[in-house]
Amino acid sequence: MLEIFQNLTPNMCVLIPAVVSSNVQQQQIRTTINKHYNPQFRKHRGAKIIKIDLPDLTKEKDDEMSPERMRSKMKEKGLQPPRPWNERNFYISNSGGVFEPYVPPEGDGKLSAVTVKGAKQKLEFVEKKGKSMMAVRKIKSYDDDFTLKDFVQDATEIYKNAHEALMNFRTDKEKLEEFVTEKAYVEMTENAKYKTVSWKFHQSLSPPKVVHARTNSVVSKDNLFAQVTVRFHTQQSLCIYDRFGRKIYGDENLVKDVLEYVVFEKHITEQYGSWRVHHKIIPDWMPASEPIPRTFRKPEPLPDLPDQPEDEDKSSDSSSKPDVAIATA
Amino acid sequence: MSLFPKITQRLCGLPSPLSIVNASKSLSCGLHTSAWHGAKFSDDQGGRTWFLRNEKVFPPQKPGEEPRPAFVCHMRSNVRGNYKNMWYQACFVRGMTIDEALKQLSFQRKQFCADIKEVLLEAQEKAVKEQGVEFKSNLWIAESFISKGSHIKGMRRHARMRMGEIRYQYNHYYVRLEEGKPPANVYNPKPSGEEMLQEWLERMRNRYVRISF
Repeated sequence: MLEIFQNLTPNMCVLIPAVVSSNVQQQQIRTTINKHYNPQFRKHRGAKIIKIDLPDLTKEKDDEMSPERMRSKMKEKGLQPPRPWNERNFYISNSGGVFEPYVPPEGDGKLSAVTVKGAKQKLEFVEKKGKSMMAVRKIKSYDDDFTLKDFVQDATEIYKNAHEALMNFRTDKEKLEEFVTEKAYVEMTENAKYKTVSWKFHQSLSPPKVVHARTNSVVSKDNLFAQVTVRFHTQQSLCIYDRFGRKIYGDENLVKDVLEYVVFEKHITEQYGSWRVHHKIIPDWMPASEPIPRTFRKPEPLPDLPDQPEDEDKSSDSSSKPDVAIATA
Repeated sequence: MSLFPKITQRLCGLPSPLSIVNASKSLSCGLHTSAWHGAKFSDDQGGRTWFLRNEKVFPPQKPGEEPRPAFVCHMRSNVRGNYKNMWYQACFVRGMTIDEALKQLSFQRKQFCADIKEVLLEAQEKAVKEQGVEFKSNLWIAESFISKGSHIKGMRRHARMRMGEIRYQYNHYYVRLEEGKPPANVYNPKPSGEEMLQEWLERMRNRYVRISF
């Protein structure tokens, strides 16, 4: 092959007729050869061009580099790290988690009030439980008008308003923040960012009930947050559409019975604190929700590292749950 | 060398410190140039509205309507290559299925075809993970085009104390993958003989003679 090229003059073109079909390019098309006829002065010709270190912008981008890599690169260049001068105030408007989460009894919601067991369950008042009673007393010390009966009605309204605000949260962000704490805001909206949610509250199957109450301080002793868990047994319908308007979960006309334990939180030591949805307790014995119709490839398991911290999953341990896509709406 | 004038470029915006220093050490010869290549590139990352197309939420479709095909918009900024040559490659993959495009690009002879292939693979992954596309092979390339990015100017010597400019070109490559089967013709196909005849006949029959009895 080399001999052929050595005998060629610059005026010669090597054209191999190629059959270019729509699917496969069978032969390469070659036009004029980009090679000087006299290889003797190749190096001199190359020396005419002033070499430049061209940046490869696709390989390592500044914002994708780890801090250690950035630091070592800057050290190479002899640069000092930039000094950040941003001082930002932060305000704790909600406690980050749940204080001593309520553990719902197994079989709740399945026994009718007529049976002995069901009647017993119904009579489990929050007033009879020591810690919860103390917490309710503490709340009453800051808020004179607080009664469990009135609170339960307010809680239902807040719950409904929160879900209705979730449906329009892209256009009206502030409304959702009114009914939902910052922790719950992230959990509710993260997966719903590019989806359309259509939710409807039909009726309450049994009157909502306060099952648990706790108070706790955050950072300093006089910064108190109160959390009250309410049990809702209701009928709701849910339909979720993806970004393109296609239905991916549920149905507008399908009404389902829902048993939920919703934690409401209030910053009681603050003058303008209000009760807001904070967290939802999903017990272990609760059956998994309906899987989404769409199929997907199972992700490959990550390699087991010795010091890997446990991931805090919203739905408890995944090992007991079936290997099926669950809508986390 | 000393006859050659200074090349200065304006600094716009706040570049990362690394990119500034990168550029200042780029010329190994003693020629003075301003060191703001990094600034140029950190400013020019291509069309920023391209990614916003991934965030538009369409209203729910009625039950009888045909399902809207999912799409994903992806791009890569500052891919090095000649604009005109790269344009051919962008046109080449238009209208192909994703698998076909990946296959064909691996046999193209240009360096930036590897970058284009990477962009397509990234876009495919995005489509499955973020846009709710069920089957990763069920995608075709609906839009594929390039735009000019910042260029770096280098120099070369000519005879008789003359200098020439070499441009190292960078372009942004944009691609939009859509779910489903590609249409039969992405580019306007050449009409067949019969069609051409019909068009000619129609043109002839549409003639109107004005100012006649």
